[in-house]
Amino acid sequence: MIATLFLLALLQIKVPDAAQIVGQPQGMPIAGAQLERRAMEISAELRCPVCQGLAIGDSPSLMASNMKAQVRELLERGYTEPQILSYFEKSYGQFVLLKPKFQGVNALVWVLPILVLAIGVALVVSKAKKLEAAPVQAMETKPDPDDDPYLKQVRDLVEKS
Amino acid sequence: MNRTVLIIGLVIVAAIVFVLFAGLGKDPQHIDSPLIGRDAPRFTLKAVGTGEMIDIESLRGKPVILNFWATWCGPCYEEHPTLVANARNLPNVQFVGVVFNDEEDKIMRFLAERGTAYPTLLDANGKTAIAYGVGGVPETFFINPAGKIVAKFEGPLSTEALQANLAKALR
Repeated sequence: MIATLFLLALLQIKVPDAAQIVGQPQGMPIAGAQLERRAMEISAELRCPVCQGLAIGDSPSLMASNMKAQVRELLERGYTEPQILSYFEKSYGQFVLLKPKFQGVNALVWVLPILVLAIGVALVVSKAKKLEAAPVQAMETKPDPDDDPYLKQVRDLVEKS
Repeated sequence: MNRTVLIIGLVIVAAIVFVLFAGLGKDPQHIDSPLIGRDAPRFTLKAVGTGEMIDIESLRGKPVILNFWATWCGPCYEEHPTLVANARNLPNVQFVGVVFNDEEDKIMRFLAERGTAYPTLLDANGKTAIAYGVGGVPETFFINPAGKIVAKFEGPLSTEALQANLAKALR
């Protein structure tokens, strides 16, 4: 009797379903070694919300364990990787994605390093070109020794002595 | 050339200084919830003690204060009296506690020792907490009578914070 009541209670429990959030599965259900491999790969892309920069796959926290279990379950049901990432993103925001998306302010994370590198290369190349040109310039515009006031002063002193 | 380098350097330094100043005064742990303005994810969970099944949808029509907590969470002990006192003072507001990653007997003992004034539901596998984007507990969601999440508060609630966020649910 108690077991039946417990089972009935379990059947009545409904947790928020992924279908509410990202719709029906768009892939094929997977199992076995493929499931384990895909679960590990996707777990490496999701940030543990209670850790410092750790993926849920690397975190021993209870929250990360719950999230890993959720990833496995969604894969078993046939949800695709973009759907699973979107499911977590819709609850936690882009913060949960260890690879930020190329959009909005996040695009700066991808663009700025390339931009800074390009500016750096341009400066180095430009400086190198100037240095190459410098000795030629120096030869071309060699100052007349007679115009040098110090040399003139030395000559005067030598002449006087 | 030197002038160009100086201008580029100044632009880069100005951008870094701007970003750092913009972040001053903000809690680095705080992240705006993408759930604000959306329908509260639907769930039906069992109440600890009574065994009653509570469907979040059935609470539409009045503001709901949905508090995620656990007996292993220190700040939850600090927050509990505030929630109980406000639940007693605000009969038109539905308070609901959701406990995750916890054991029923520990929750029963906690509530017996500290009192309660609203249903406490057990989220045994943490799936409801995940759907709500809960990171650390306590976290509290304010849901308006239409069932939309209007605010999220991270950390132990004070009466002032509770009332300020509740006002958003009553607009």
